[in-house]
Amino acid sequence: MNDNEHKGLLPAGLGDMLPPEAALEASVIEQLMARLAANGYDRVKPPLVEFEESLLTGAGAQMASQTFRLMDPVSQRMLGVRSDMTLQIARIAASRLRDVGRPLRLSYAGQVLRVKGSQLRPERQFAQIGAELIGSDSVEADVEAVLLSALALRSLGIETLSVDLNLPTLLAAVGSGAGVPDAKFPKLHDALERKDEAGVRALLGKDHAPAMELFVALLRMVGPAEAVVAKIAGLDLPPAARVEAKRLADVVKRLRNADAGLKLTVDPVEYRGFEYHTGVSFTLFALGVRGELGRGGRYVTRDGEAATGFTLYMDTILQAVKAPAAKRRLLLPANTAIAERQRLQKEGFVTVTALDDVEDIKSEARRVGCSHALIGGAVVALSQ
Amino acid sequence: MSDNEKLVLALPKGRILKEAAPLLVKAGIEAESAFSDPDSRQLRFSTNHPGLDIIRVRSFDAATFVAFGAAQIGIAGNDVLMEFDFPEIYAPVDLDIGHCRLAVAEPADLAGEDNPARWSHIRIATKYPEITRRHFAARGVQAECIKLNGAMELAPSLGLCHRIVDLVDSGRTLRENGLVEVEHIANVTSRLIVNRTALKTRATTINAWIDRFREVARAA
Repeated sequence: MNDNEHKGLLPAGLGDMLPPEAALEASVIEQLMARLAANGYDRVKPPLVEFEESLLTGAGAQMASQTFRLMDPVSQRMLGVRSDMTLQIARIAASRLRDVGRPLRLSYAGQVLRVKGSQLRPERQFAQIGAELIGSDSVEADVEAVLLSALALRSLGIETLSVDLNLPTLLAAVGSGAGVPDAKFPKLHDALERKDEAGVRALLGKDHAPAMELFVALLRMVGPAEAVVAKIAGLDLPPAARVEAKRLADVVKRLRNADAGLKLTVDPVEYRGFEYHTGVSFTLFALGVRGELGRGGRYVTRDGEAATGFTLYMDTILQAVKAPAAKRRLLLPANTAIAERQRLQKEGFVTVTALDDVEDIKSEARRVGCSHALIGGAVVALSQ
Repeated sequence: MSDNEKLVLALPKGRILKEAAPLLVKAGIEAESAFSDPDSRQLRFSTNHPGLDIIRVRSFDAATFVAFGAAQIGIAGNDVLMEFDFPEIYAPVDLDIGHCRLAVAEPADLAGEDNPARWSHIRIATKYPEITRRHFAARGVQAECIKLNGAMELAPSLGLCHRIVDLVDSGRTLRENGLVEVEHIANVTSRLIVNRTALKTRATTINAWIDRFREVARAA
């Protein structure tokens, strides 16, 4: 039985975007893409739907449960609707743009579709914007990804932007260096992810006291970047972990040199969502915005190329962006000459032309939501 | 925006609040007088810190307020945290209060003849359907949960189901209703919880509160 009587009802997590939000989203995407282009990132546009296996192999496997599938009647193969665009970009870099000189800088914007919304992000369809820097393993590349994402977001007027630097590889390096068996890692990650100090103690307490002390110390460390980096340097880390920590310290130092005003924090135990990251990663927050504006970090493409990049989420960004003041809207009488319309548009008016002759142009203007009317060739502002 | 800048501390009503009150005092938080007045209908209270307000909500809701960032810090039992599994909540300090355990209980006469190894499906009354489902799924048993919000102990005697999953403190309520504890799921204590975004964007302020509660909990 279908009780979907009301034609306006949409499936959970999907919505119509109305004026002015739809225009705002388009203009924000345009501004962000212009900022990426100005920094040498060329736009690519992968398709909405791909063969399931190319979308979901390797690092894509983690998105399998979030991906809608369709059967392709033409190829008789299973297709997946993209739930994340990063892997498509990596695929393009590894296939069609294989022969282009490295480093390769690519940008993209598009809609993604997910099987389930989360409590914090109930949207199942939203826009992603991102940039990928492929083919460089240098510290400078890490720094460029962070700076570019911050630059792009701050150009939208998001002044309270805060970049949280993460190092997902540190946990494994500390854990295996201190002799924690691999079998304990999933539970350890869960506990660290929640900053559940009691959980970490219970998990490692008896057999791995030195590792426990290190993890508890790391777990308590979230805070301003320079202070945390100094604290990490003071720990007695295993050699492999020290290499990771050194890299993070380099990135922090160069970021600070490049942009003294950027708000930087470090959280050394953040791990969820970074399972496939292989180095310095980051999450973007802003004061008062629920959830993250975006995230990024270092990874390795399917072809083994070193890469870094970031993805921005439009649903959260729109929470942080102020809508620009509405343009003045002017009602023109029917049959106003095209040249006259263009002249008024150049003056900054949005013009709406009446389709029929109306007696009271002022009340008609109010009815159709105009702030001004053209009466006898003169622009008249309407009182509210 | 100025109201947004204020920190909100979400406290659970009832049993935990009674135990948490001395900790709050030791942490230097004094709520306005209406907070301790049981007749007051007020929901939000100011404190001696101009930047900190308190809200008093049901224990499950304290976690929800913090998960969505409506409150930045709060107190919640790890039973609630396990049930919801919110990725946006950090639980950095074990406050060492609200001690109890989450357990499976059943009528005493059933416990004697029951062989849990033969179960493929059981029906359970509980306030914690997620924890219950996960717990039994891990050993290959499908748990059909009947969600109740209180007085779980009545369910077996009235034939709603044979077993319950509930918080057990002294075990007295179970005994008085002819039930015995047959399986231990988890130990429960109350935690200081923190919203993820709040910790990242206001690290210094929130860390100061975390440190203060950590010290108070350790000293207690």
